Order: sequence, then C-alpha cells, then structure tokens
Amino acid sequence: MQPPAASPGPAAPAGAELLRWQWREVQAPCLVAAWILVASLAKIVFHLSRKVTSIVPESCLLILLGLGLGGIVLAVAKKAEYQLEPNMFFLFLLPPIVLDSGYFMPSRLFFDNIGAILTYAVVGTLWNSFTTGTALWGLHRAGLMDPGVEAGLMDFLLFGSLISAVDPVAVLAVFEEVHVNETLFIIVFGESLLNDAVTVVLYKVFNSFVELGPARIHATDYVKGVASFFLVSLGGTAVGLLFAFLLALITRFTKRVRIIEPLFVFLLAYVAYLAAEMVSLSSILAVTFCGICCKKYVEANISQKSRTTVKYTMKTLASSSETIIFMFLGISAVDTSKWAWDTALVLGTLFFILLFRAVGVVLQTYVLNRFRLIPLDRIDQVVMSYGGLRGAVAFALVILLDRTKVKAKDYFVATTIVVVFFTVIVQGLTIKPLVTWLKVKRSDHHKPTLNEELHEHAFDHILAAVEDIVGHHGYHYWRDKWEQFDKKYLSQVLMRKSAYRLRDEIWDVYYKLNIRDAISFVDQGGHVLSAAKLALPSMPSRTSMSESSVTNLLRESGSGACLDLQVIDTVRSRRDKEDAAMHHVLRGSLYKPRRRYKASYSRHFISPDTQERQDKEVFRQNMKRRLETFKSTKHNVCSSKNKARLKEKGRKKKNISLTKETPNGKTHRNIPWQEAAPVLVMVSSEEEDSDSSETEREDDEGIVFIARATDEVLQGKTTPGSLDVCPSPCIIPPSPTLAEKELPWKGDQADLAVYVSSETTKIVPVDMQKAWNQSISSLESIASPPGIESGPQHRRFACPVLEEQPQSASQAMPEQSSCFQFPSHVSKSGRSQSDSSPDGAEQQELQPLMATEEQGRVLPPTAEPRWLMFNRASHL
Amino acid sequence: MGNKQTIFTPEQLDAYQDCTFFTRKEILRLFYRYRDLAPQLVPLDYTDKPDVTLPYELIGSMPELKDNPFRQRIAEVFSEDGGGNMTLDDFLDMFSVLSEMAPRDLKAYYAFKIYDFNNDDYICKSDLEKTVNKLTRNELTPEEVSLVCEKVIYEADADNDGKLSLEDFQRMIIRAPDFLSTFHIRI
Repeated sequence: MQPPAASPGPAAPAGAELLRWQWREVQAPCLVAAWILVASLAKIVFHLSRKVTSIVPESCLLILLGLGLGGIVLAVAKKAEYQLEPNMFFLFLLPPIVLDSGYFMPSRLFFDNIGAILTYAVVGTLWNSFTTGTALWGLHRAGLMDPGVEAGLMDFLLFGSLISAVDPVAVLAVFEEVHVNETLFIIVFGESLLNDAVTVVLYKVFNSFVELGPARIHATDYVKGVASFFLVSLGGTAVGLLFAFLLALITRFTKRVRIIEPLFVFLLAYVAYLAAEMVSLSSILAVTFCGICCKKYVEANISQKSRTTVKYTMKTLASSSETIIFMFLGISAVDTSKWAWDTALVLGTLFFILLFRAVGVVLQTYVLNRFRLIPLDRIDQVVMSYGGLRGAVAFALVILLDRTKVKAKDYFVATTIVVVFFTVIVQGLTIKPLVTWLKVKRSDHHKPTLNEELHEHAFDHILAAVEDIVGHHGYHYWRDKWEQFDKKYLSQVLMRKSAYRLRDEIWDVYYKLNIRDAISFVDQGGHVLSAAKLALPSMPSRTSMSESSVTNLLRESGSGACLDLQVIDTVRSRRDKEDAAMHHVLRGSLYKPRRRYKASYSRHFISPDTQERQDKEVFRQNMKRRLETFKSTKHNVCSSKNKARLKEKGRKKKNISLTKETPNGKTHRNIPWQEAAPVLVMVSSEEEDSDSSETEREDDEGIVFIARATDEVLQGKTTPGSLDVCPSPCIIPPSPTLAEKELPWKGDQADLAVYVSSETTKIVPVDMQKAWNQSISSLESIASPPGIESGPQHRRFACPVLEEQPQSASQAMPEQSSCFQFPSHVSKSGRSQSDSSPDGAEQQELQPLMATEEQGRVLPPTAEPRWLMFNRASHL
Repeated sequence: MGNKQTIFTPEQLDAYQDCTFFTRKEILRLFYRYRDLAPQLVPLDYTDKPDVTLPYELIGSMPELKDNPFRQRIAEVFSEDGGGNMTLDDFLDMFSVLSEMAPRDLKAYYAFKIYDFNNDDYICKSDLEKTVNKLTRNELTPEEVSLVCEKVIYEADADNDGKLSLEDFQRMIIRAPDFLSTFHIRI
C-alpha cells in the first residue's frame, strides 16, 4: 500500500511529473477491494428480493454469481484467473468465520452437547473417511472408473478424508436460514467445527502415506497417525486456551487505551490461529476455543463500545469472508484446466458420502441416545445426515494436493467441486422444504403460552425441590465445580480489578442498604430477605454474592436493549396485547429457579447475553421487594405521593419496561427519592488521574465512575460522545446541589461528584441511572420515535419519557418501566412540552424535583403504592 | 456399603424394581439418600419392612428447599397419607415418576395432582391462584392474579367448564412437545 519511495523507474523521468499512473503498485489491494465490493453489492442485490432469498440460500446465489463472474473473466482474459487459493483461504478467509463462530458460540448449549458433538466429529468423520475412501477404492478395483484415474487405496483414503469433513462455512450458511432447533443446530455446527482436527490429521497422514508410497509404510506410521490425532486436536485446543488466557489478561490492562481493545481481540485470535497453523496443529480448534473461552473475561474487561465494535466487526468480517469464499468457489469451478471428469467417480462419491453419512449418523445416534437426556429422534437424524454439507475446506484441501504425488488430482478436484456444489446448492436448496415437510422442531421464537410459562416455572421449582431432596447433584455438578474454580481463580486473574472491585462496592452499598432496612423494619426485613439466595450477604459469603454481577447487568444495558430485534418488529393484535400484558405480569414477578437458558447462534443477529440472567433475576426481585417495603412502610407518605402521581400519569401512559435491565435501573433510582437521609458508605476513590477517569467514564458508562474523587469528576466532564445520542441526559439527582446550581450544564456530573464526596449510597442509583440513559439512548437511536404509540410492546416510549417535563421528572423513571396497562396521553403532552423547551430542561428537571419531593412528603397517602407492581421486565 | 443385601431382601428389591423405573443400584442409592435425611429414624435393615415415615417437618426444613414454593405440595402429593410424611415407598415413587423412563402421561398426572391443591380432580381457579401466588411469592395483587388465572384457564380449557380437567391439562402438554421434556431428573 505504501507509495514506492525510491523505486527506480524503468526510465528516468524526464521531469517532475504531475501525476503518475501507479496501477502496478496498488494492483493487489485494489483487486481485493474490488472483489469484496462486488460480493457485497451482490449481497445487496440478492436481498432486494425477499422472495428469492427466502427460497434460495445466499450461499447458492453466491456460488452461481461466482460461476457467472468466472465465466466472464474466462471469456475476457482467455484464462481462468482469481482462483480460491488455498493459502488465501486458510490464512485470511477462514479465520474470521471460525473466530466468529467460536466467539458467539452459545457455550452453554455447546458444552451441554459436547459429548454428541465430539462423537459425531471424531467417530463420524473417521467413519466417513474410511468408508468413503474404501468404497471408492472398491469401485475403482471393480473397474467402473476410467482407467485414467490412477489411484491406490491410499489415494482414495486421502480423498475420502478431505471429502468427508462437514464444512463449518457451508453448514453455517445454510443452517442459519433454516432455523432448526438449537440442539440440532449446535450438533451439526459443532461437529463441523471440531472435525477439523480429524480432517487435518487424516489428510496429513494419508498425504504422507501417499508420498511415501504404500510399500514403505510401517506399523509405527499408523501409531504415529493416531498419536498425531491427539497431538493435533489437544494441541490446537491448548493453543487456543493459551491465547484466550493471554487475551483476557491483556484486555485487563487496556483501561487507558480503550480504543485498541477490539484490536487485541482480533489480533490475538488471529495469532492463535497462525501459531496453531505454524506448528501444524488444528488451527480451527485453536481459534474456536480461543473464542469460546476468552469471551467471558474479555466482555467483562472491555468497554461497552469496544464490545459493540468487536461484535459488529466480527460479524462483518465473517460475513464478508463467507461471501467471498462462496463467490470464489464459483469462480474457481470455471477453470476447466483443473478438471478431469469421471462420471463413475463423481456419482460414486456423491452416493457414498450421502449413504455413509446417513449410516454413520444413525449408528452413532443409536449409541448416543442411550446416554442422552433428550434423545435425537428419527427426524433429527435425517436432518443431520442431510445437513452434512461440504464446502470450501474440502476444495482448498484438494487444491493443495501435489499433482506429482497424487496422480488422480484432477479427477479429485473435479469431484470435489461437484460434491461441494451439489451439497451447497441442491442440499442447501432442499433442506428448507425438507425441514418444513418433516416438521422438524424449529427454533421457535413463538411466545410461550401463559400455561406453558406458568407450568414450566412450576415444574422447574418442583424439579429443583426434588433434586434437592434426593441430594442429587445432577447435570450441573461439573459446571458448578468449574464455575467455582473460575470465580475463585480465573476471574481474579483475568478480570479487571475494577470489575471486581466495583462489583463489590455495589454489593457493599447494597449490603448496607439491606442492613439499614433490616434495622428499620425488622419484621418486614426478615420476610423480605428470607430467601436463601437473597439473604444478606454476610462478609465471608460475599464472594458468592458478587457473582450476581451487577456490573454485567449494567454493562449489557446498552447492547441488550438495542439488539433485541425480536421485540421491535412485533406488531400485535389487541388480544395479543392482552396476553403480552399478562406475560409481563408473570415475567416480572415469577421467581426463577435455577435452570438452563437456551442460547442460539446466528451470524447475522447478535443476541443479548444470557449469562447471569438468574443472578439478575434474584437481584431484581430483591430490589423490587425492598422497594415495596420502603413504599408500604416507612415512606408511606412520600411514596404515596409518587404513587398518586404515577397512577395519574401512568394511567395515560402505556409503557413498558424496555429492557430487562430496566427494573434494576428503576429500582435503584427510586431509592434516592424516597430516602431523605443519606446512608453512609465508604466509597473509595481509586481512580488516580482525571484523564483516566474520563476515559473510563466515557467508555464504561454504567458503573465505572462510582469511585471517583470529587474534583476529578467536576473538571472532567465534557459531554462524552457516547452520550450524544441521548437527547436528554436527564439524570435525576436526589437533591440539587450547589455545584449543580452553579454549573447547570454539569448537572449529572455534579450531583455525582457530590455524592462521591459525601459518600452516600446514592451513588449506586446515579450510576444505574447513567446506565439506564445509555440503554435508552441506544434504543432511541434505533427507534427514533416518530410518534407516540401505545401498547406494551413498544419500546419507543423510552424517549418521550425521558423528555418528560420538569415536574414530572421524579416520576419519569417509574413510568418508563411500568404502567403497562395505561393509555398514553401524558406522554404526548410531556413530549410536546419538552419539545418546546428543549434547552434548559435539564436544569429544570433538577430543580423542581426537590420541590416535588418536599411537597410529596406532606401529602397524605392517597393510594397504596401499587405502581411498583408494574415493574415488569421484558425478557424477550 | 458392602453389605447391601442386608437392607432389602431380594424379593423386596424385585418388588421395588417392578414398581418403579429403577434398577437395583439406583434403588439402593435412593435408599441411602433417604436414610441420610434422618439417620436416626431410618434403620439400615429394611428386611422386616419397618414402618418408618419421615415427617414433613424434616423435609420441609431442608436448607435447599427453604426457598422452594412447592415443597409442601410435593411432599403432600407423593406421600401416602397426604400429609407430607414420606415413607421409603413414597420417596421411591416420587423419583420414579420423575425418572426419564416414566411415561409422559404419568408425569402429567402427577404434575396435575401437584397443581390440584384441593384434590377435587380439577384445576380450578383457586388452585391456579395458589400456584401463581406461590410462583410470584405473593407479589401480584389479587386482581392481577385472578386475571392471570382467567387467562390461563381460557387458554387451556377445551370444554369450557371454567376449570381444567386432567384431559385439558394433558392436551395442553401434548400440544407443546418439549413441555415435559424438562420434567425429569437423572438419577
């Protein structure tokens, strides 16, 4: 890319040139860019027609496009150019896809099914290779093939090894559009990822055997082959784990250079890939496990923005790699110079790979079902057999063969191309109708009926009870063990201190609040906190409490909110709405027992993290209950005022809890309004210098600024870019402070500062609020509200509420997350008013708040504080 | 654990095997667990069929269960006397129902029974209300609860009698294929 500085030109330039044609210098990158551009444009074109893409998988279209383009190139250049080079494929195109798969792998699901996946990946691939290879050899011996195919048993086994591996790229591309149920998907997909080790080993072993010649193979070579399998697979995994560790460790220290955080993720994963490749270990395994293992720590360490960047960049890279791979597959197929057609070989291969895959799947499933909790039924098996797509890996491997050693290379190339095309196009096209026809359990995104929801919860409780009675560790025993280990050691080492510390601080604060409550309402407190999980965190057991990670919860607020695509596009009938309302009622208040959550993987959608949901749940429930207690007892007056207002306001405003984090944010925020007396909590101010604190604040909205010294915060506030999206950064302070009045534009920071300096518990609420705002703003950026609609499913309410006018500021928060049943007038009025006075609203918001609160105290309790009940999360 | 045979006679074991979905080994394992709950009450020798019951207080006070809204109901449904006091037979029964081998109908039946708080063979509104209250830990108002219950009944009530019969319940369960798939425990 660099301009050639001192390259001696062919002829000395006659004089100073104004412009110079430098095509040669930029040719290579320019071509790359052009191809990517073509592929991406093609993608756009494909998606112009919904109908086409719903029937034909994108991969098919891309291959066909590649064929077309290849034809054009061939016609123009008279020779085939732009092949899918194995080097390019393995070094540049494959890693992003694998990393993406590993990083976004629903690890729970993956490890739940690891047994099945490994069986299919190892035993299945071995079975496929050997049977296919042998059968083809038999075919050859039987004289059915063209005599030009000069190949012995080893050659056919080599071919079998490369043709039998299910290809992750193809599988992903097709299955993603089919939406089979998660278990089925993860098994096929996991298999395609993990069989890499087997493929690589078989390929290498057979390749060396072929090169050695059958005469010179000794018994030790077979032993070596087996040993190298373990070495390659375990070694690859180890490399991946090592780099995952490094990556986590490095991101722990990137506090001041947030901007390069995403780079580390990609770089180290890539280095892991290259390192594994270098020592000829399984590079796919390395990257997969690097992705799977580092995710938790990396996500905890890097900032919200970096997380988003990583997510999108990864998806972009993977998606474009995939596009290019398929397109180049098409283009490469045009090159007839590499072809050598043999009908028997082609048909035989097609027949055998289908047959043996099916047989293998049935046999293995038969064995596996004896150990599986939920057996794989016949239909699953059909889909699994049929879903064994071959792809670019096989093609790249066959291209890599050495023609001098493997004499039948041309035949193999042709066969591979046909097989790949057949599986991707024919099977890819038919698998969707097949799945529909067989009524395969889809990954249903339908809302569970109320009954299901209710009963499933009940069942979970019942099961949990029975498990406890029998003292049966079950299923999650090892996972629990691992989590213990992780919590005790790994997280300590790999997670940023601040994540840990802050987490603790929040719990400290929470703990103190709880203590206070307990003291104030002894009777109530006992009841409220009776649940074992929700019990007061006594000091020794605090580590266990800190697992309910408030940080994560906050951290997710941004992405979790905006990426939940499902919610946005649901338009519902009236009855549905009612149902939804009921679901909200249930969802919000059902107390979840331990259970596993389903996760899914998709290339094109990024789902919010499901981790720690239960912790959140417990936390939320507890907070809610605490507030309930607050309202109903001590702060009867004040809350009833809130409540009264709320009712009236809320009545007009159909609103919903927008994200699952909402209730948390809300509950927290509520505390300060209710509490007049500050609770003393020592908050250590450990962020040393102001610029570090500033970066932290900008990037890690949520929590980080808990611990900040006063002056730093005061001076440090310039509107962070992240907040720009949010039109009204209405942080509602518990009380207006001097600083606020003097520096109205610094309202939110100022009050923060005050809180830090006075070291009250209100810090928590403020922080939460910040997180809340972030989530709102991100929401807003997606669904900028054209108008106000009613209905519990509409998230857009976030913004009208935020722009609530001053005197309603104190109610704004509860309303946002509550009142799902109320019609919405006030939100409109509130919005219009705030529109009319957009500036200065912030200050206004702050000022009257105190007043209303003061007034509120005097007001008699008019209604019971029911609004809290409406605090329903929408886990959708 | 060496002298396993002294706990049960072979006939007893066979009988247990016939009545439950367990193997010998599992039965013994469950027995030890049962005994662990109250070593002082349960003798190690079951050959003479001692009449031992674990009082509900013992089960209900297990720390793991403290949190569980259904602990009493489970104990009641599975205990012979209906009071939550468990004999070994009851104990085995309970796990038998929840084992992987148990047919779906049996599970559905017991699940139904667990819901049927007033034992009238119907899940009526009051039963559901109890369930909802247990599940939500009394966080909903009576109106909300009754609204939810109405909805639930409306959803599943095929014969429009305002309550859910066992058939209704089973139909509902069949409609959602992996509904009961979670309703088992691997011993």
